[in-house]
Amino acid sequence: MSNPQLALLMLGLFIFIIMLGFPIAFTLMAMAVAFGFYAYFTPDQAFFDNRVFYLFTQNTFSVMNSDILVAIPLFLFMGYMIERSNILDKLFLSLQVAFRRVPGAMAIAALVTCALFATATGIVGAVVTLMGLLAFPAMLKANYDQKISAGVICAGGTLGILIPPSIMLIVYGATAGVSVVKLYAAALIPGFLLAGLYMAYVITIAITRPKLMPKLPREQADMGFIEVLLLLLKAFLPLAVLIMSVLGAILFGLATPSEAAAIGALGSVVLAIAYRAMSWGKLREAVYLTARTSAMVCYLFVGSWTFSSIFSYLGGEGMIKDFVLGLDLNMVTFLMLSQLIIFLLGWPLEWSEIIIIFVPIFLPLLPHFGVDPIFFGILIALNLQTSFLTPPMAMSAYYLKGVAPPHVLLASIFKGCLPFVSMVFVAMALIYVFPQLVSWLPEVLYSR
Amino acid sequence: MIRSIIKTIDLLNKSVGHAFAWCIVILTLGVSYEVFVRYALRDPTSWAFDLSYILYGALFLMAGAYTLSRGGHVRADIFYRRWPARTQAALEFVLYILFFFPGVLALVIAGWGYGHESFVIREVSVNSPVGVPIWPLKMLIPAAGVLLTLQGIAECLRCVLCLREGAWPARLHDVEELESQLIQSHSSGAQS
Repeated sequence: MSNPQLALLMLGLFIFIIMLGFPIAFTLMAMAVAFGFYAYFTPDQAFFDNRVFYLFTQNTFSVMNSDILVAIPLFLFMGYMIERSNILDKLFLSLQVAFRRVPGAMAIAALVTCALFATATGIVGAVVTLMGLLAFPAMLKANYDQKISAGVICAGGTLGILIPPSIMLIVYGATAGVSVVKLYAAALIPGFLLAGLYMAYVITIAITRPKLMPKLPREQADMGFIEVLLLLLKAFLPLAVLIMSVLGAILFGLATPSEAAAIGALGSVVLAIAYRAMSWGKLREAVYLTARTSAMVCYLFVGSWTFSSIFSYLGGEGMIKDFVLGLDLNMVTFLMLSQLIIFLLGWPLEWSEIIIIFVPIFLPLLPHFGVDPIFFGILIALNLQTSFLTPPMAMSAYYLKGVAPPHVLLASIFKGCLPFVSMVFVAMALIYVFPQLVSWLPEVLYSR
Repeated sequence: MIRSIIKTIDLLNKSVGHAFAWCIVILTLGVSYEVFVRYALRDPTSWAFDLSYILYGALFLMAGAYTLSRGGHVRADIFYRRWPARTQAALEFVLYILFFFPGVLALVIAGWGYGHESFVIREVSVNSPVGVPIWPLKMLIPAAGVLLTLQGIAECLRCVLCLREGAWPARLHDVEELESQLIQSHSSGAQS
């Protein structure tokens, strides 16, 4: 068997094994070592002198002293602390009052709450379940349509992996070797664009079909301007300031992403204390969960860096390149094909595996088609929103189902997500037609 | 007998994972301190950069086995979760032998050589003149490998128990993600 064929076997076997449900990080490690041992095999050499062992430990250590990945546990810690700071109910209430004159007020308030909270925590599951317990019953009680309410919460909560400072973009930056700072700058406008599209959709429905989102009763809507301002000042402002200072420090080059993340983590602890939500038990929970989630993400890197170097050493990368170039694609068809593949991978897999393991296969092809890796990363970040919203994986929908009243069917949650999924495609088409949406901010900030 | 072995390994990795998890607090404070002294006092530290990746590296590496003991390593389980417990256990047992131990044993043995080499020369970081020692960090690679191997044995024993009894043995109690806590309390609340 020739080496490139072996590489193909390696990839095929890998996909088969992970589809059996075995932990992915260890599958990558074991297969990298086994195939690497064969690839680097030299007769008359002691077993452990095989180069693969050195490569493996060297790669492991590279993951351990990566100055980009340091930001991951820090942002996770920040997220877990904010999750536990009892801020969400106040935030939702204040926004609900603030938006009371807008059509579909509760849905808009829920959307903004989800987006802001998800941006701050970066953890989708917590936002969706918390909002599913808080906003979802409130919306149903106000006779809001079940599907739209569900869609708003699922789609809004998922925005957290896109809008900077998001962990997904750090992972993409480390995988593709592009600057996280530039990725953040590039993702900002597309993130707001998608949030804006969601909002426009909700308002359009609220105006055209007011039955689906009835106006709030009078007494609830009545509140003075000063009172509203005070509410916002207490609940909305601190979190918004925290996010903006973390993001601002990164974008204006005052601090590296990991330094800003540390400040953000410290800020989240202060926030929790200020909202009287701090306790020994909550700190412990946040600390332990940070360790587990960091290990989950970083072990994927440990496995995949060696796996992909063995894969390309065997000639797998070259073979895929030849194959794709042989398809005679142009930039548009290449982008469509690659995004379609990533969309399909999003059905059974989560974003971390897709970015760490499958995106490296596309990366060497980008220069051939003249695609900027940052632009490609933003397309992927948008695209992966759908993996949380489309069955069978649809993590967001399952989280919501887990806390929804029993009469809410999973199918109607899925149906509620669909319009938002189509908004994601609209956003992807828009940034393809107007690439300035991605490139403008990084150029303004960093072209000197 | 089997149960007590599983419990011992679980407890060991839980304590190691919990202990190293606190690195995040030192990491947060250390990096924040660096930013503070750099901007407020114009006097950056010479150790904060090395400290940051050492703490991060130790944190995630040593939490690997703990995460495994919580079933926290990501898997594509769309088919897996529909199978009966015995099928899951039989398959997983085989997969552990074939696709788990080779990787983590390589981590132990090759990592030992790598760490030992660094220890012999008492390797320090080249990032700053302070010379922060980095051989302990490299030595953690084989240590994490050993913990993962042990946890792998515990997971295999779990499969054996499940094959014998037809149901997965319960895991130790530990903190859970907020969404699992909420979903669990919601469903138990709905039943009562």
